[in-house]
Amino acid sequence: MRPLFITWEYPPIKAGGIAAHCEDLATTMADQGHDPIVLTYGPEEETEYRDGVEIHRVPSTDSAENTLSWAMHLGHQIEKKAIELYKNKKFDMVHAHDWMTVSAATGIKNTLRLPMVFTVHSTQKGRDGIDSQYQRTIHNLEWYGTYEADQVITVGREFCQEVKHTFDVPDEKLSYIPNGVNLEKFDQHSAKFNKSEYALDWEEIILFVGRMYPQKGPGHLIEAMPSIIDQNPHAKFIMCGSGATEHYKKIAKNRVGEKVHFPGYVSDENLLSLMKNAKMTVAPSVYEPFGIVPLEAAACETATVGSYVGGMKDTIIHEYTGLHSYPEDSGSISHQVNRALEDPGWTEWLGDNARNRVEDNFRWEQISAWTTGVYKKAVEA
Amino acid sequence: MKVLILSKEFRDGEGVSEYCKNISEYMIEKGHSVTILSFDDGSYYSVNEEVDVRRVPVPFEGDNVYNWSMILNNELKRQAAELSEEFDVIHANDWTTVPGGVTLSKHFNKPLLLTIHSTENQRGFNETHSEMISELEWQGVYDADKILVTNEDSKNSVLFDLDSPDEKTEVIDPYTANWRKRILKNYQNLIKQKKAPVNQT
Repeated sequence: MRPLFITWEYPPIKAGGIAAHCEDLATTMADQGHDPIVLTYGPEEETEYRDGVEIHRVPSTDSAENTLSWAMHLGHQIEKKAIELYKNKKFDMVHAHDWMTVSAATGIKNTLRLPMVFTVHSTQKGRDGIDSQYQRTIHNLEWYGTYEADQVITVGREFCQEVKHTFDVPDEKLSYIPNGVNLEKFDQHSAKFNKSEYALDWEEIILFVGRMYPQKGPGHLIEAMPSIIDQNPHAKFIMCGSGATEHYKKIAKNRVGEKVHFPGYVSDENLLSLMKNAKMTVAPSVYEPFGIVPLEAAACETATVGSYVGGMKDTIIHEYTGLHSYPEDSGSISHQVNRALEDPGWTEWLGDNARNRVEDNFRWEQISAWTTGVYKKAVEA
Repeated sequence: MKVLILSKEFRDGEGVSEYCKNISEYMIEKGHSVTILSFDDGSYYSVNEEVDVRRVPVPFEGDNVYNWSMILNNELKRQAAELSEEFDVIHANDWTTVPGGVTLSKHFNKPLLLTIHSTENQRGFNETHSEMISELEWQGVYDADKILVTNEDSKNSVLFDLDSPDEKTEVIDPYTANWRKRILKNYQNLIKQKKAPVNQT
C-alpha cells in the first residue's frame, strides 16, 4: 500500500501527540513493506527520506488570524503539492489526521478521486467545547472529515463511541485502533540522569507530563499535593509540559513551595530519564481520548495513577498496571498516590506488569497491521 | 472547445454571475460548450439552457467567508473531477475560486484563466482575513496562465499589489464592443500554448 499521510506536524516539528503518532506509524508501515509518503508543514519546501519514509514539507502563511485559517491556507498548499507528487507516484489513498488536515485531505480526495481515511485523535467538543463560532467551525470541519472519509479511525474505545454519536458516523466505517509505543526508543535510551536537577537525594519523584491546561487536570493534582506530602514527606512533584505553566506554578508554589518543580520544556532524553526514575506518573486528565502517558511510563516500567476517563480506562488496569482515580477528584488522587507510595514493592510490581502489558498489546507492528487493514476496506469500498 | 467556469455564486442580477452568463451564452452561440460550477444558494438564475450549470451545496458552516470558501472549493473540485478531462480551459473568478481553479488546472494540465473583478486592496483591505485573501489573490495570479481585469484600476492593482507580469495581464471591459470575442480568443490562445510541448517538466 502507498498511503499519503497528511499531518500538520511531523518530527522534528512537534507540538502535540500527532507528530510522534505519524512518525511511528509511517516508519512501522515502511518496515512492513509498505510505501508511505508524508506530506506536512515546514518553514520551507523540502523533501527528506528518513527510515524508509518519504517526507515532503510545504510552508503556510504568516498572516493568518488564527490556527483555523492557517490550517485552511496550509490545506491548499498541501493539495497543490499532492497533485504534483501524484504525477510521478500514484498513492492508493489519503490518510488525514485531525481537523487541521481536513481541508487538504478532502481537496485531494475530491480532485484525485481517491479513498480517504481519517484518524480522529480528539474532538473540539471534548477539548474545550463548541460555544463560539470559531469552535463550531472546527467542530464542523471534524464532522466534514468523518463525513467525507471512507473509513474513520479513532484512538480510544470509549472515544470511538463519542465520535460515533457526535458526528453520526455509521458503524461500518468506524474503527478503534489504539496508539502504540515504540519500545526500542525507550530501551535504547541511556542518558545519564542527574537527579539533583530535580529533587533532593531522599525525595521520590512523582511525575506529571502534559500540556498545562484544564483538560489535562494539573489543577486537581496540585490540589492533592498537600495531603500527599502530609503522609509522605519524601514525595516531590515534577510537572513537565508547556501551556499555562506560570499560572499553575504560582498556585502550586503557594501550596507546597519547594516540594514541586516546574522544569518547563523538557527534552525527550530528559523526559525518558525522568520517567524511568520516577516512582510513578500521575495523569489527572479530565478528558482523554487515548492518553499516551500511561503507556510511555509503562515502557519505562513505571506505574501510573490516572483518572478513570476515556482511553485510560483501557491503558491502565486498576491494581494491576497502575491505579485509577476518580476524575476531577483531588481526594481520590491523593488517596491512590499515597497507597502507591506506602507500598513501594507493590508499586514496582505494578510497573513491571504495565511494561509486560505494553509489550503484549500496544506495539506499532500490530497497530500498523490493523491500520493497513482499514486502508484495504477503504480502497475496496 | 469545452470551458469550465468557476464562480462563487451564480444568480441573476449579481455582477460576476452576469459576466459568466454573458460569456457562456456567447460561447454556446459560437458552437462551444460551457459548464458553470458555483455554490447553490437556492436563488433564481436564468441562462441559455445549453449551458451546463452545476450548483453545489456546501455542507459546512464556517466562521467567515475565507474558511467557507476553502470548503466550497473542495466541493467544486469534486464536481469538476467527475467531469474529468472533458474540458479544455478553466476560467476562475476572483480569489473565492482560486484554490479550485489552480488545483484542477494543475491536475488535469489545462490552462487557467483568472478574472480578478476587484482586488482585496481595492475593496479596502479591512476584513479580518484581508491579508490571507490578498495572499491567495497573489498566488492565484502567480499560478494562473492569464489574468483578466475589467478596468484600468484593477489592472494597476493586479500589477503592483499582486506582482502580475504585464504580458500576462489584460483589460477586457465588459462594457466595450467585442469583449466576449476577445475572451474567446484568450481561451483559444491558452489552449494552443498548453498543447505546445514547452515548459513541460
